[in-house]
Amino acid sequence: MIDFLQLIVSGTATGACYALAALGFTLLWQASGTINFALGEMVMLPAFIMLFFIGPAGLPLPLAFAATLLVSLLVLGLGFKRLVVDPMLKHGVIPLVIATLGLSIAMKQGVRIAFSAQVFTFPAIFSQELLSIGGARLSVSDLGTVIVAGGLVVALQTFLNRTLTGRAMQAVAQNRDAATVLGINVQRMVLYAFLINAALAATTALLVTPVYLAKFDMGDTLGLKAFYAAIIGGFNQSRGALLGGVLVGVLENLVGAYLSPGYKDGVALVLFLAVILFKPEGLLGKPEERKV
Amino acid sequence: MAAELLRFDNVVAGYGALTILNQLSFTARAGEITLLIGPNGAGKSTVLKTLFGLLAPRSGQIHFKGNAVGGRAPAQMLRAGVAFVPQGRNLFPALSVRHNLELGAITLPPRDRASRFAEALARFPSLHSRIDSQASTLSGGEQKQLEIARALQLRPDVLLIDEPSIGLSPIVNQQVFALLRTLADAGTTVLMVEQNVRAALGVSDRVLLLEGGRLMLDSPAATLLADPDLNRVFLGKAVS
Repeated sequence: MIDFLQLIVSGTATGACYALAALGFTLLWQASGTINFALGEMVMLPAFIMLFFIGPAGLPLPLAFAATLLVSLLVLGLGFKRLVVDPMLKHGVIPLVIATLGLSIAMKQGVRIAFSAQVFTFPAIFSQELLSIGGARLSVSDLGTVIVAGGLVVALQTFLNRTLTGRAMQAVAQNRDAATVLGINVQRMVLYAFLINAALAATTALLVTPVYLAKFDMGDTLGLKAFYAAIIGGFNQSRGALLGGVLVGVLENLVGAYLSPGYKDGVALVLFLAVILFKPEGLLGKPEERKV
Repeated sequence: MAAELLRFDNVVAGYGALTILNQLSFTARAGEITLLIGPNGAGKSTVLKTLFGLLAPRSGQIHFKGNAVGGRAPAQMLRAGVAFVPQGRNLFPALSVRHNLELGAITLPPRDRASRFAEALARFPSLHSRIDSQASTLSGGEQKQLEIARALQLRPDVLLIDEPSIGLSPIVNQQVFALLRTLADAGTTVLMVEQNVRAALGVSDRVLLLEGGRLMLDSPAATLLADPDLNRVFLGKAVS
């Protein structure tokens, strides 16, 4: 039972990171119909930018994160929207998907050329100690990750549901034509979604890189699992991304511990296939009609 | 006679290679309901979209309150005093009635929003009891009322409304038309596109018949209502 609790907590910590990245998928899909297959690399790049600010630039981790956040907002938020999504979306979703796949390869190879293919350690933001709670030994790092990621998800939901700007973003996602008719600045709301996505990616990098370590291809697994998590939870629901992420993280841990670590990476894929077959809109998603 | 509020002068507009409005000229007077009728493809909805700034005129002039407004963005037209209730469902289905209304006032200064919100609810008491319901759970009539209430929060000088009767029962439809009449009597100019011509003529002051993007007839609504050939008018064949 105690082992089970430990597995749940550490699985939730991993799942919370998947959920943060998956939220990026759902936000961009809802705001602009963008499927971003470069999402994993959008977590990898801030990790290396932070390493640059910590190493050659000599900044302490909090300042390095703040500087990385700024660069991410400009490059992965504003730049991605203006230079990749806006020009490609006019030609449809498929050309945009291909463009994001190309961007993913370019980012990976660009980082490999700049930093080499070796693995870099990354400073931990939480203590590596274990806390003993009710007999269970829980990692401070896991608990910290759950608190930070959970706090961000709550903050994002609060922003989307409790502020006029957040509701205007939802309005644009639900009915763009009606939003235009009411004078809502549609392009600005879409930009906010891209900026939030960039901020989530930078924060995910801060949380996962101490564990995954920084490597040019570290985004492959994370991006794929976040995509599965978003589909499992429901691509058109932010809370679906949260559920999908945590479900994948926890089940991976349980399968790894009780069946075999070899099956661990297959969990997300099996869940993904089951959802696609039996509830294609996702566990919390809503069926969506689109004109063709 | 009421003062002229709106004027189209030789307006040409369309989509891509397709020209819909073909040198269209007409005027609309303050405090009147002007009804646009004509066969499908005549350009009725395009008139509203072009006036509201959803479509830029290729040539010609649009004057509102004496100012040239052709090509202005929808947000500018809202601020100038023009509100638009397009055809079909225009709500945010997963948001509540309250939040749908609130977003309708987003272009207003923050200090005015609460009073306009209260004003809109006072005008539509049935929405009051559903204020925290999701918009998607409202009946067709309530949804149309919400769309109109949302637009009226801006206290527009001109209300553009496209096919308000679609999806409504005859009783609700009459209520919506009666509301438009009340608004016009209180000074709001209404420009309405409506396929249910006979019912719409009953509340309108003037009727403009369009065909092929041109004005074929400009008549007092009462005159046309008395015309035994109304059915032929509806089919766009009355004017030779």
